Amino acid sequence: MTIWPTEREYLAETDAFDTVDMTINVGPAHPATHGVFRMILTVDGEMVVDCEPVIGYLHRGLEKLTENADYRQAMGWWDRTDYLAGMSCEMAYCMAVEKLGGIEVPERAEYIRVMMAELSRIASHLIAVGSFGQDVGSFGTSFTYAWRERERIYDFFEEVAGDRMFPTYLRPGGLQMDLPENYEPRLRWLINSIRQGIDDLDGLLTGNEIFVERCRGLSPVTTERAINLGLTGPMIRATGYRWDIRRAVPYSVYDQLDFEIPIGNGTGDVLDRYLVRMAEMYQSTLIVEQCIEKLPGGLVLNPDLPKTLRIDDAECYIRTEGTKGEYSVYGMARGGNKPYRMKLRSPSFCNLSALKELVVGHYVADAVIILGSLDIVLGEVDK
Amino acid sequence: MSQESQTPVTEERPAEQYPGIAALIHKKLPAIAFTATETKDNVDLRIGPESLLELARGLKDTPGLDFDYFNNLTAVDMVDEGLHAKYFFASYRQNHSVQVTVVTVPGQPNLPSLTGLYAAANWHEREAYEMVGLVFDGHPDLKNLLLDEDLHIHPLLKAHPLVKAEILQGIEDATPGFKF
Repeated sequence: MTIWPTEREYLAETDAFDTVDMTINVGPAHPATHGVFRMILTVDGEMVVDCEPVIGYLHRGLEKLTENADYRQAMGWWDRTDYLAGMSCEMAYCMAVEKLGGIEVPERAEYIRVMMAELSRIASHLIAVGSFGQDVGSFGTSFTYAWRERERIYDFFEEVAGDRMFPTYLRPGGLQMDLPENYEPRLRWLINSIRQGIDDLDGLLTGNEIFVERCRGLSPVTTERAINLGLTGPMIRATGYRWDIRRAVPYSVYDQLDFEIPIGNGTGDVLDRYLVRMAEMYQSTLIVEQCIEKLPGGLVLNPDLPKTLRIDDAECYIRTEGTKGEYSVYGMARGGNKPYRMKLRSPSFCNLSALKELVVGHYVADAVIILGSLDIVLGEVDK
Repeated sequence: MSQESQTPVTEERPAEQYPGIAALIHKKLPAIAFTATETKDNVDLRIGPESLLELARGLKDTPGLDFDYFNNLTAVDMVDEGLHAKYFFASYRQNHSVQVTVVTVPGQPNLPSLTGLYAAANWHEREAYEMVGLVFDGHPDLKNLLLDEDLHIHPLLKAHPLVKAEILQGIEDATPGFKF
């Protein structure tokens, strides 16, 4: 026994009174669960001794629907997976169809796709950070700050594609339409606004000692354990491991863009995950700026595509860096105008499967923060 | 086609004839028989259920291979060819990846669970179990994940209809003959 025993050890040692484990049901409709997600916590006093995540409340049968729809029709469902970053989900799906069918994409479309995917990443991380601040206890302020910039990004999406959250802007073989005429000054204004917003959030949260001390050292994960648990994205980068699919297995035009991969200081705690997301948002603004500068002219949709895509026997596995981690799509075609099988490897699903290990042994109040630091989106978990 | 796929044959051919990463895997793990083919962007190793555990352990623990990352598991219903489990393993250290297709015989959907090797395999196996009915022996908690607990259907089987509200409403028996 240590000099300062924990509450549990103290009770076990002194046998002061028997404590009975209590079961607390959190969710499925609960503000702290960020969607329709349920966790069954077993607590001993204030400590979590067991946690069972229950998912599936938002299961819409994405994969079955995709098998029964035309290649282009199915795309509208895929931006409803990670509904905080529709564009980057569409990108992964379109890349899978293009890989299966050997479809070329014009370079201009690739740059615009990357631009949109990075803006989606910023929008998604803003929600992650803003709602995380709320979980920790900054009440509405961090959320409002984050929401302001996110609204501006979504306004831009609306100008570009006609819809905010589910733009259905990409097409297998390119894009639905080109950018609007005045996009450049508009986008540069947006980037400045986002940077200002990140600074505001940074001052509000990172500059707040209560916030930082609350998160520091909470739920640390080593890199080895993170790999074994299948954690990806900001979760693994927070452990100090410099890994990003955009660099490790480059796709689209990411190999022609210059950006840093932010990592945590090695403990992999909740604070590191937050800081990695903050740094990534800034890097994404740099990527968007480079895309504006390098944007070539030309078409945005491959003109040689048939009206109905028919793809013969083929198999592929597309790995992309989604906003929450590795967003990968397995595709199988066996002739006809419908995919035979499309499987989503969603990052939130895999990160959430590690929740039990991350939460057990912490206080109930911290369980909510740890869940918030995972940054799950239930549309993607439940498919 | 289906006969070949069910019983992978050891092909006595020099290592350099295997495509990409398969050559390295054959060199490091010569005892494991597999058929290697190329997909659109990777290499696919086709094996039977009996050698899955041995292969996975070899991939994970052999220096030089270091497949430490259980990336994905896709279950595909190939109808007459049985259920296929498509594992996707990757390595952080070596930055390579491989797809492993495990072909099950129709009527015998049992596979060894990889949860002992990779903690990440847990939910993927539960998903494959409910979606097509693959059974993972040795899994600590094999039960429905996304579907309702008492709904014993396998929606991603090709025999399962796209729209059939009666099953969900309990009008029809929820355990009909979706036997593959």
